[in-house]
Amino acid sequence: MRVDTGHVSMTAATTIELPFGMSPGADAKPDERALVVAAQRGSNDAFAQLVRLHQRRAYAVCRAIVLTHEDAEDAVQEGFLHAFKALDRFLPDQPFGAWLYRIMANASLDLVRRRKVRDADELPEGVPMPFRDPGESDELRRRLNEALTKLTDRQRSVIVLHDVEGFTHGEIGEMLGIPEGTARSDLHHARASLRRILGDVRSDL
Amino acid sequence: MSDLRLFPDDDDVTRGLRAIYAAPMGESYWNELQARVMARVADVELGWWTELDRWARPALAAAAVLLLSAGVAMFRAHQSEADIASDVMLSSPAVPVSTAIRPAYQDDQGARLRFLFGR
Repeated sequence: MRVDTGHVSMTAATTIELPFGMSPGADAKPDERALVVAAQRGSNDAFAQLVRLHQRRAYAVCRAIVLTHEDAEDAVQEGFLHAFKALDRFLPDQPFGAWLYRIMANASLDLVRRRKVRDADELPEGVPMPFRDPGESDELRRRLNEALTKLTDRQRSVIVLHDVEGFTHGEIGEMLGIPEGTARSDLHHARASLRRILGDVRSDL
Repeated sequence: MSDLRLFPDDDDVTRGLRAIYAAPMGESYWNELQARVMARVADVELGWWTELDRWARPALAAAAVLLLSAGVAMFRAHQSEADIASDVMLSSPAVPVSTAIRPAYQDDQGARLRFLFGR
């Protein structure tokens, strides 16, 4: 059983909340490394701090891959659980964020695969919407939602991770387990598809 | 800019995507999510399989060392037996060589001759 070793120095910097969409900056890295080492030694407090530091970004990664907010929540929890179990194998010299987001992406992809199998068994005619908001009145958002369902899972993930979350092609490739060039090409095709689909909607109006 | 424009450009699309994929803003939501994650971590820690998992590698290593030691001990024991057998074979015989190689009938013949001439 893990035991709290009390190795974590609870400085003010370790408890700083990063704004959404921002990766931990250079100032946070030494503390993050200390937290990782402490968590590896068994400190749950340190792991809780790591969760706090990364959960928003982790949610964003998962949300880009799965279809709903609820699935993103599940994937985030699964991802952190996997990370906790695999913490012993993480080398503290590596960037923790990149390692963690790869785990999050894998947890999300697993969830998407499980959902597909389940939906194929139970709801063959159902087309899930990326975002369900009964009170939605925003026309562009509604059309965008429709357009997003027409993209492949990977194209949707790539465009959200790049255009919304600001990840580079290389980072996206690493997270999704595809070459950087494929991520770049997916992004190009996703944008082209969105333009075409939104154009089709326009011509239908 | 209106969302009802019929020709959304890339900026509009990006803004729309950001709106769709926006993370929850409330601090209480993130506190709750962190608490849920840590509750699951605690569940994992309490499981007997975690203990098993933690001990699996040392146990495997210990088993491997034991197996290796047993193998070495058996090999040495076997070798020692072979050495003893070899030593026994190569050690000097209990009876003199001349006795050992002399045919038995010579003994009988000599005894007979000694009996005849001795009388």
